[in-house]
Amino acid sequence: MADQQAVLEVKHLKKYFPIKEGVFKRTKNHVKAVNDISFDVQEQETFALVGESGCGKSTTGRSILRILEPSEGEVFFKGVNLLDYSKREFRKVRKDLQLIFQDPYSSLNPRMTVKKLLLEPLLTHGIANKKEAEQKVVEIAERVGLSKEQINRHPHEFSGGQRQRISIARALILNPQLVILDEAVSALDVSIQAQILNLLIELQRDLKLTYIFISHDLNVVKHISDRVGVMYLGQMMELSDTEDMYSNPLHPYTQSLLSAIPSHDPTIKKERIILKGDVPDPANPPAGCPFHLRCPKAHERCAVEKPAFFEKEPNHWVACHLYE
Amino acid sequence: MSSLLEIKNLSIDLHADRERFNVINNINLTIEKRQKYGIVGESGSGKSLTSLSIMNLLPDALTISSGDIIFNGETDLTNLSKKDFLNIRGNEISMIFQEPMTALDPLYPIEHQIMEVLKFHGSYNKKQMKQLAVEMLEKVGIPRPHQLMKEYPHQLSGGMRQRIMIAIALICNPKLLIADEPTTALDVTIQAQILDLMNELTDTYDTSILMITHDLGVIAETCERVAVMYSGEIVEEADVATLFKNPTHPYTVGLLESVKTLGDKSNKLYSIPGNVPTPKQLTGGCRFASRCPHAMEICRNQAPPLFSIEADHRSKCWLYGEEEVVNG
Repeated sequence: MADQQAVLEVKHLKKYFPIKEGVFKRTKNHVKAVNDISFDVQEQETFALVGESGCGKSTTGRSILRILEPSEGEVFFKGVNLLDYSKREFRKVRKDLQLIFQDPYSSLNPRMTVKKLLLEPLLTHGIANKKEAEQKVVEIAERVGLSKEQINRHPHEFSGGQRQRISIARALILNPQLVILDEAVSALDVSIQAQILNLLIELQRDLKLTYIFISHDLNVVKHISDRVGVMYLGQMMELSDTEDMYSNPLHPYTQSLLSAIPSHDPTIKKERIILKGDVPDPANPPAGCPFHLRCPKAHERCAVEKPAFFEKEPNHWVACHLYE
Repeated sequence: MSSLLEIKNLSIDLHADRERFNVINNINLTIEKRQKYGIVGESGSGKSLTSLSIMNLLPDALTISSGDIIFNGETDLTNLSKKDFLNIRGNEISMIFQEPMTALDPLYPIEHQIMEVLKFHGSYNKKQMKQLAVEMLEKVGIPRPHQLMKEYPHQLSGGMRQRIMIAIALICNPKLLIADEPTTALDVTIQAQILDLMNELTDTYDTSILMITHDLGVIAETCERVAVMYSGEIVEEADVATLFKNPTHPYTVGLLESVKTLGDKSNKLYSIPGNVPTPKQLTGGCRFASRCPHAMEICRNQAPPLFSIEADHRSKCWLYGEEEVVNG
């Protein structure tokens, strides 16, 4: 991938949420939702962020788009730090960066027709006059598989899969370069999920899009992504090419995650690593390695010293003392 | 030996807009003692309604229009009075749900919620109940059970809450445990823990399981027999191994294909075109015909019966029209 250029570089991104207590609402502590993570995303690739609920993957996505203002760090989009922009300046760049959410019903205004929903971003950004805009709406709707007649309907008249098509159309109508998909297919049934995944792959190829694909579903991630970052408790535990990650996971957490996926063949009984306990409270993370309390391979050092995130093999990064 | 639960020709109707829509159409299934039976289907396929009808928990707008649910070879659950049902529910048949936070009462400590079942179905004094509750919590793998008895549901994680639900469900030693998407809201590592626990406990307690899920992986991991539901009908029923190796109904084939091609990047992901029809859109023919790659003339006009493919393998599809009809 040497000839490719990074579209997005995230450096030491942190997002802390204050916990306020008492009459004067003084900040007692912080939830370190995203705690110093770095990665880059190459042009036209799909970079996946995976992890269990509460690991900070969505917060990372939102911090990149400044929907949540990051506490610290830098986010370079095509060489410029997004966090240096004023709010007003950022709006202009924002059309190149789009976000698609999990639940298309709550992210589409129920009182607007599909046509209005799709026109809105064009008019907000002052990109086209009314006539051009309407032309564009029809084009993009057809592109995602909605007919001309359907665009005069309201979101509630569509099924979940079709609503997600509307969300995709709405995100793509501004010709973005980077699309962040936050659990975009998680709420869909298997047969519909397959349709939407195919559509996303097709659109990426045709429109030269770059995706950040946030998901907890490791099967879906394996299918769609080129590279994967595994997050745990706000930190990046492992990052590598997808194939490498699935065939040769290094971090004990990744190993147990992958072994926990139910197999679709009842004749194969998988060797399973069952983790003890739950993810610790992010307001009160353990010292040392964040995973050491549940890690089957933990030793004394893990409880004291936080492992560095380093390149163990070419393009395969891991944060674990086992490999130092 | 009689079967534990037999659902015979069950149909359920929905009353809305002064009309009746059929939502469950003539389903038959039999769960043997100690069997792990799975129902798999997408949202709206009627899998949860089937389980709610067993528990007599259908919402008011839905009624059983025909059919019997025979429990333990003698009791017809559809004819039981509300009062008689109280002896069955939670005692002989119990259920766990997808979202344990909404199934547990936020206002009472865990202790109260576990002991409530014992108070209702057993005759123990307070000390015995407490003892039993703590033992049960230990069995479902809860650390420091004494302390946890005093805690409230919001203080616990999703996996812990589901463990508590399982403890409540199994404390009366029921014959049948219905698990409606028990791990869907949980992360994979926690899902693995819970499925493991359920398998272990039902083996020790000799409990049958009816597992309702949308996830074929969960079925492959936990069940012995499986029914595939689509749009309110059972379209295929077989042993788990047979179904995964030799699926016959085009819908099952499509579902398995889309799961299997996932992860194989060289090929386009297999997808079933179109959407599930709503009850209002149903025509007289096969309910899957509009999405089926093999649809024939007859499929659009006449609903297929269940055909017997081989012993204990049934498929509701005209492609197997030469086989013996099991059930119309």
